[in-house]
Amino acid sequence: MVDTKLSRRGFIKASAATAALASAGTVGFNEWSNQYVKAGANADIKEIPSTCNACSSKCGMIGHVKNGRLWKLTGHPDHPYSKGKLCARGHGYATVVYSQDRLTQPLKRVGEKKFEPITWEQAYKEIAEKLNKIIKEYGPQSVALTEDPRASGKFYSPRFINALGSSNYYTHHVVCSNSRDSGFLHTVGVSSTSADISNAKYIMFIGRSYGDGIRPSSVQALAAAKDNGAKIVIVDPRLNNTGNLATEWLAIRPGTDLALVLVMSHVLIKENLHDMEFIKNYTVGFEEYAKELKKYTPEWAEKITGISADSITRIAIDMGKAKPKALIEQSWRGAFGCNYENSTETGRSVAMFNALLGNYQQKGGSIFGGKPNLGNLNESIHPNPKEPEAPKAGKKEFPLAYHSHGVATIVAKEALEGKMKAAIYYHSNAALGYGNPKVMKEALSKMDLVVAIDVQMSETAQLAHYVLPEVTYIERDEVIEGLSGKIPGIALRQQMVEKVHPETKPIHEIYSELAKVCGVGQYFNFSLDELNEAMLAPTGITYKQLRDIGTIMFQNEEITLGEMPKLKTPSGKVEFYSETYKDAGFKPIVEWIEPKVSPADDSFRLITGKQAIHSHTQTANIPILMQITKDYDLERIWINPVRAKALGIKDGDMVELKSSEATSRIRVKITERIHPEAIFVPSHYGITSKDLKIGQGIGFGYMEHVPFDFEKWSGAGNIHEVIVKVRKVKS
Amino acid sequence: MARYGMVIDTRKCVGCYACRVSCQMQNELPVEESYIKFYEKETGVFPNVKNEIIPVQCQHCEDAPCVSVCPTKATYTTKEGIVLVDSDKCIGCKYCMVACHYGARTQDHNTGVVEKCRFCAELVAEGKQPACVSTCISNARIFGDLDDPNSEVSKAIIKMNAQPLRPDLGKAKIYYVR
Ligand code: SF4
Ligand code: SF4
Ligand code: SF4
Repeated sequence: MVDTKLSRRGFIKASAATAALASAGTVGFNEWSNQYVKAGANADIKEIPSTCNACSSKCGMIGHVKNGRLWKLTGHPDHPYSKGKLCARGHGYATVVYSQDRLTQPLKRVGEKKFEPITWEQAYKEIAEKLNKIIKEYGPQSVALTEDPRASGKFYSPRFINALGSSNYYTHHVVCSNSRDSGFLHTVGVSSTSADISNAKYIMFIGRSYGDGIRPSSVQALAAAKDNGAKIVIVDPRLNNTGNLATEWLAIRPGTDLALVLVMSHVLIKENLHDMEFIKNYTVGFEEYAKELKKYTPEWAEKITGISADSITRIAIDMGKAKPKALIEQSWRGAFGCNYENSTETGRSVAMFNALLGNYQQKGGSIFGGKPNLGNLNESIHPNPKEPEAPKAGKKEFPLAYHSHGVATIVAKEALEGKMKAAIYYHSNAALGYGNPKVMKEALSKMDLVVAIDVQMSETAQLAHYVLPEVTYIERDEVIEGLSGKIPGIALRQQMVEKVHPETKPIHEIYSELAKVCGVGQYFNFSLDELNEAMLAPTGITYKQLRDIGTIMFQNEEITLGEMPKLKTPSGKVEFYSETYKDAGFKPIVEWIEPKVSPADDSFRLITGKQAIHSHTQTANIPILMQITKDYDLERIWINPVRAKALGIKDGDMVELKSSEATSRIRVKITERIHPEAIFVPSHYGITSKDLKIGQGIGFGYMEHVPFDFEKWSGAGNIHEVIVKVRKVKS
Repeated sequence: MARYGMVIDTRKCVGCYACRVSCQMQNELPVEESYIKFYEKETGVFPNVKNEIIPVQCQHCEDAPCVSVCPTKATYTTKEGIVLVDSDKCIGCKYCMVACHYGARTQDHNTGVVEKCRFCAELVAEGKQPACVSTCISNARIFGDLDDPNSEVSKAIIKMNAQPLRPDLGKAKIYYVR
């Protein structure tokens, strides 16, 4: 036992009377916080399993609630993404529940940047009237819904927009994984695989950083792989924070990853290190592909990528020798996420490279996960609106885009053309994060109706006609989340504390109630609990069990490695040759494509990426996270010392950064960790909403500099196709 | 009797700040107060560069200078070697802040009490790990009994030849692998 008088701020603070809070129920924020201060001793601590909402990973977590107030969080030990741990965002973002800047009641815009509070009844009534009028006049396809999907959103959002008769459902993936999704989908039949990192012997990351875009279990797995002696290569124009775990950093010229992968593929085949058995059994079009690759030599790639021909050859050969426990990780965003004109082709070439290694469904390779078998509502009692036949806007322009995610920025484009008349944004700050904010702003202002559902006054909410305040994820139950992977499972997000603001509502209630007023209530004639019970039915698990444990993994449904499933491509196999591409007007065989723009001697390419403490822009207003940015000047741009010196710029200097779209002032971090051709800017800053007092005015939003442009294949935003100049200015 | 200590493997630390934030929540610290600080050490020239991130908190020194200078004995070392502050006795004179070589102490703006990493003594008493250790996403932190040669922490120190951050400044109970 520890011999100590446990004198500690936390325990002292919580030492007074306790009853007040427990009986407080639903009260306003001020009243609530006053009562908390008064509340006290004999801290009653409850541990409630739930899931995180600070990024798209939705890790399992356990909320420790002290006297009815969220005290701290720990990672859920059983959840495959958290494995007992949470990242900084996961810990910190939860404090949003007590944010002073939360939306507390429905708002209606009554002038430029002026809102007035209204009742839910009025909000529903007016939104429904407008929606129905627009649908009557312009047809249901003039209405769209966009979200950053979470468990409830994923179920309710498409259902809601389909109920209105529109197929226009979109996700934030347009600035995340659209390119990768398209490249993978048409090659291996799924938009993403997972990687068996801890068993791999050779792992290459392209533009993806486990240490910056964190999922705790992935970092743990990578650290374990390192302990086991795996080779870990990072391909990135900047030495990202995964660098510590890596054995090698390839400081590639930004936008040239495709050349690297094409050449490595060529080398594998030339050296006879490709898996002929796998290729024979599970792929189509190999001969044509191999023939086409011949023109991509290591010397050619050296000129393009800046990586020596020797290194390229060496790594390709070593990966070939380590196969099938060698892989290029599937990534999310980064190089083959959504950044360059050639990113879909990069994604495709990566999926093919992994096929050459025969690593699919192998230990230490790329894995197609299994899904849990969940039930549905009884359709005869709870009718399900089918997705309308009319094609989703953007489908015609981007036939290769992954249908379920769509091309969200098409909503803005069609609004500018006068075709899209209404847009609903749920848990999505599209105006700041999806495309050039100036263009997005103009597009949103052209529409007859914009509705934002959020917990804080985001830039998108500021442009909306109606803002509907949601409870935070700490205050709501959600739809059960199915977990696919080597072992499938389920997880539940559940309420930890009482509503802080009485006039806020969970999303399932908002959709269900709004649907009723819109006249499509028949599709929402069930409660969340009924839905969850129906989903659980085939699993044999009770709702109470799930509530008690939070995450349940189906160990006996673990997939068998070594068995290739039939793929969902037209041929049922890995497609080195793609008819789908051909039909869509693209080359059926992967080829080198130049990035759209390139910097000159006096300019830079602006690249962006994540920092471990923030998610998109949603965490910028969280004091405990933004303080870290302030303490360590994390909003600065990165410049290579050689370039900085030539421009007379010293560490910490204020510079002006200018692109075709905007001019920003920002301080500089001079570091050897960045390619001389590039400037790196973290993607989370540049909050302009005056209602987000913590985040406003810190750093700049890189999207301001990004032209409103679509990558031709997948429709993803070309967010790395930006050239900037910098010059020193007085701070 | 246990004697508690920690290993921090900077070769694994990715500088994610999860330890800092979970520590702040565990100890209910104000946002601008933190027990863990981070130092970055970049070496080499592009493209041959290495970057090291070094999390630093109270090192729970043996013969801790902060303990010996404290006029009220508010700062003390437990039998298990954890250095703690008794907030009832602390008069906020800041002697300990000056004495600490590691800049590990911070003063509460409201109460004037000086505090620092406490190895989450109450969690350890329950047989749990300190918050920073249990949340470390790369398992860069190992905590346990330095006097037990079979504890994970003792084995790690031997296996990886872990050393105090500044051996020249005296013995500490946090060992670094670099
Ligand atoms: S990775 Fe971090 S932010 Fe994302 S869900 Fe997990 S704990 Fe939350
Ligand atoms: S690190 Fe500083 S605060 Fe901690 S025991 Fe040593 S001298 Fe005291
Ligand atoms: S949690 Fe671990 S990896 Fe993250 S900063 Fe702290 S010590 Fe480093």
